[in-house]
Amino acid sequence: MSFITAKNLTRRYDLSDPWIVRQLTFRPKRFLTAVNDVSFSVEKGTTYALVGESGSGKSTIAKMAVGLLAPSAGTITLDNHNLNDRNLSPQSQQSMRRRIQMVFQSPYASLNPRWRVGDILAEPIQSFDLIQGAKNQAKRVDELLEQVGLSPSDAKKYPHEFSGGQRQRISIARALSSQPEVIICDEPTSALDVSVQAQVLNLLKSLQKEFSLTYLFITHDLAVVSSVANRIGVLNKGALVEEASPKELFTNPKQDYTRMLLNAAPKML
Amino acid sequence: MTQPLLEVKNISVEFKTRRGALKAVDDLSIDVQPGEILGLVGESGAGKSMMGAAILGLIDPPGRLSKGEIWFKGQRIDQNPETLRGCEISMIFQDPLVSLNPLKKIGDQLVETILRHKKMSRAQAIDRARKGLIEVGIDPERLNAYPHTFSGGMRQRVVIALALAPEPSLIIADEPTTALDVSVQAQILELLKKLCRGRGTSIILITHDMGVISETADRVGVLYAGRLAEIGSTNQVLRSSKHPYTQGLVASTPKIDTSSFGQSLYQIPGSMPKLDAIPTGCAFHPRCTQGTLKCSQERPPMMNNAAACWLLEETRQGI
Amino acid sequence: MKRFFASDFFYDFVRSPVALVSFLIVLFLILSAVFAGVIAPTNPFDAASLNLMNGFTPPMEPNLFTGDVFWMGTDDQGRDLFSAILYGLRISLFVGAMAVALATVMGVLLGLIAGYMGGWLDNLIMRFADIQMTFPSILIAMLIFGVARGILPPELRDEMAITVLIVSIGLSEWVPFARTVRESTLVEKEKEYIAAARLIGLNRWQIMIRHILPNVLNPVLVIATITLALAIIAEATLSFLGVGAPRTEPSLGTLIRVGQDFLFSGEWWILLFPASTLLALALSVNLFGDWLRDKLNPRLK
Repeated sequence: MSFITAKNLTRRYDLSDPWIVRQLTFRPKRFLTAVNDVSFSVEKGTTYALVGESGSGKSTIAKMAVGLLAPSAGTITLDNHNLNDRNLSPQSQQSMRRRIQMVFQSPYASLNPRWRVGDILAEPIQSFDLIQGAKNQAKRVDELLEQVGLSPSDAKKYPHEFSGGQRQRISIARALSSQPEVIICDEPTSALDVSVQAQVLNLLKSLQKEFSLTYLFITHDLAVVSSVANRIGVLNKGALVEEASPKELFTNPKQDYTRMLLNAAPKML
Repeated sequence: MTQPLLEVKNISVEFKTRRGALKAVDDLSIDVQPGEILGLVGESGAGKSMMGAAILGLIDPPGRLSKGEIWFKGQRIDQNPETLRGCEISMIFQDPLVSLNPLKKIGDQLVETILRHKKMSRAQAIDRARKGLIEVGIDPERLNAYPHTFSGGMRQRVVIALALAPEPSLIIADEPTTALDVSVQAQILELLKKLCRGRGTSIILITHDMGVISETADRVGVLYAGRLAEIGSTNQVLRSSKHPYTQGLVASTPKIDTSSFGQSLYQIPGSMPKLDAIPTGCAFHPRCTQGTLKCSQERPPMMNNAAACWLLEETRQGI
Repeated sequence: MKRFFASDFFYDFVRSPVALVSFLIVLFLILSAVFAGVIAPTNPFDAASLNLMNGFTPPMEPNLFTGDVFWMGTDDQGRDLFSAILYGLRISLFVGAMAVALATVMGVLLGLIAGYMGGWLDNLIMRFADIQMTFPSILIAMLIFGVARGILPPELRDEMAITVLIVSIGLSEWVPFARTVRESTLVEKEKEYIAAARLIGLNRWQIMIRHILPNVLNPVLVIATITLALAIIAEATLSFLGVGAPRTEPSLGTLIRVGQDFLFSGEWWILLFPASTLLALALSVNLFGDWLRDKLNPRLK
C-alpha cells in the first residue's frame, strides 16, 4: 500500500525578465524546471532515498512533500491526503501537518539560537495541542530527549551548547514530538563528521523500528544510502532516471547517469 | 633515503583565551617526501586546517605557533614563512567562491600571480597563463572571464591553475573538493593527481573524507584532538589500522557495499573533546574500547612510526 | 544575571578604560538627573523663589546684594545654574530616552514587517525610509514640530511641547532601526528553524515575533545607544533654536541658548556649564555606543 505517493510532480520557476524588458527586447519568458514529472511511491514503514547532485531537485521535492512549496503540476500525497490542497480547512491542514515532519540539513540553522531546547521541543506539542498543562508537556519533552539519546537536563540549555551531532538529535526529537507517521530527512548527516554521522543514522534506524515511521531520505551520498534505504530513486536535473532496491542499483545499474555516480563515488579500499 | 621536502618537528599551535592557553595542535611531527601526496584526515576540530595554516604562517592572533620548527628543503622557515608563501608553497582552499577575487578577470589574477613570483614580460606571463588554463582543462579563451561566470568545479580548476602557476614544490590543499558535487569531485582529484605526478609537486591533502584519501593519497596521517594518532601508507592505515580511533573511523564510514545493507553502522561512542577539555594521557582513551590504565595517565608517543597508542608497545614487547 | 557577570562581554567591559569611563559618566549624569529634586539646592522653576537681585552672580562668589553663593553662578533672572542644569538634564534625558524608545519600537516593527512579508509592503516601507533619509533629521523634527504646533490650540502649546518634541525626534530616527532589522530578518527568514516553525502551523505574526525578533535584536542595542546621543543633541538643537523646550521647562539646549546671549557681555558661566554638561553627556553616550558596536560585532565564530 503506497503511503506517500508522488504523481507527475513538477515545479517550475519563472526566471523571465520583467514585462517591460521583455517587450523591448522581444525575449520570451524563461523557466527553470527544477522538478520534472517525477512519480514514485513509498510503502509504509520503509525508507525511500532520493539521491542526486546539487540542482537535481531533491530538496525541492522534499519541500513539496512537506507543504512548504506548492507544486506547479502534479501532486504528492500522504495516505491519499494532499497537503498542498488550497481548499483544506485550517483544522485539516493542521492535522495533516502533524503527521509529516522534517529533519533539516544544517544543525546550526535548524534550531532557534535564542530558545532553550526544552521550549523548542515543547512548541510543536503546544501548537498541535497534543498535551495540555505545562507539567505534562515538560514530561513529554524529557521523554523525547531520552529517546534520542540526550538527557532531561539538556532541556534548559541553548543550542549553541551542543555539538553538531547532538543538535541533529534535538532536531530529530522535535520532529518526533508531533508523533508523526512520516519524517522527511533532508540531508540530515551531510554536515556531520563521519563518526557522528554513524550515530545519527543508527538513531534514525532504531526510531523507525520503534515508531513504525516512514522516511523519505534525501542525500547526495550513495554510500550513506546503501545502509539506510529500502528503495532508491536517482534524480538527474529534475527527472527521476532510475529506481531500484540498493542491491539492484549497485550491482546492476541500468542508466548511464547512475553508473557515472557509482564510479565517481570515492571508494574505500 | 631522500631528504624530506617538508619536516614539521614538534609543532604546537596555541590560542590564548581567558580560560588559559588552548592547544589546537599539540606536539605534532610529520614529514612530506618530494613528489608524494600526503593525506591529513581528521574530523572537525582535529586541527588539520590549523596544521596547514601553520606551515604557511597563516595563523592569526590570538593563535600562534608556540613551539617547534618547520623545515623546508633543508632550511628553517617557521620564522619567516612569507618569503615562500605562494611561491614555493601554495595553498588551495575549500570554497572557490571566496578564493577568487570576484572583481578581477581570471586572466588578470593568473598573470598577477605569475609575475609576482617569476621574472618575465607581461606577454610571456599571459602565455603562461593560457597554458595553465589548458592544463586544468579550461578553454584559454576564457582568460577574460570573471569568476562568477564559472561553475563551482570550473572555479576550483582555476584555483588549481593559480596554485600551480608559480611552480611550487608543495601544495597545501585544504578540503579542495568538499563543496563540490561527487562527479566533479572525482574529476578535480584526478586532475590534481595527474598534474602533481607530472611535475613532481608534493601535496598535503587535508580532508575529513576517508574515501577521498583512499583514492588520492600515498600516505595518510590521522589527526585527533590536535595530535597525530596514526601515520602510514594509505593501504596500511585504511586496511590494517593500528590505532583504535582509525579502526573506528574506518568501520563507521558507510560504504557502497550491498552485503552490509540494513545493518547498523559501527559507531564510536562519545565525541571529539573540545579544546578546553582534552583528557589527560591519550586524548582518545575515554572513547576507546581497548584502553588500559596507562592510556589515561600518560600520553603515548608515536610507536614504530605507525601509531600513537600504548597497545602497540605491548605487542612490540610481547614478541 | 550571574551569567552576565561571568561573560566575556563583562570581562572586556571592565578592562576597557573608554567603556568604563563613558559608562560611569553617563550613569553619574543619569543619577544626578533622577535625584535632582534631592540634590538641587533650589527649584529653579518656582518663579516665586527667584530673587532678581541674585542675577548674574559669578560661580562661587558671594552675591553683591544677597550674599548667597551659587556653585555655578546664576542666570539673568537669578536662577541657580546648578539646579537648572540638574533639572535640564532631566528633560534632556527624558526626551532623549522616550524619543529613542519610540524610534526603536517603530523601526523594529516596520523592519520586521518589511523583511518578512516582502513584496509591495516592503517596497512601500523602504521607499518611505529612503525619502525620509534624504532630509536631515533635524529638519524633519522641525517640520513635525511645526505642524504639531500649528494644529494645537495655543494654551496647550507649552504643555505639550515635551510630547511633541519626543514624537518629532522619535519619528525622525526610526530608519536605521528598520533597515538593520530588515536586513537581519531577510537573513533569518531563510534559515531552517523558520521552516520548522511553518511546519508546525504558526502564522506569520507568531513567527515574526516569537522566532525572528529575538534573533534580530542584537544590533538594535547599539543603534539605540548611538541614536540616544543623536536624540539628545537633536533635542538640544531644537531647544537652542527656540522650537523645543520652553524657558519655563528648560532643557540643556534652552539653557545654552540663554547663555549664548550673555556670552559676550562677560557672564561666561551661563553658557559654559550647561554646554559642558551637554558635551559630557553626548560624548559619553556616543563613546559607549561605539565601544558596544565594536564589541557586539559578530567576531565570535
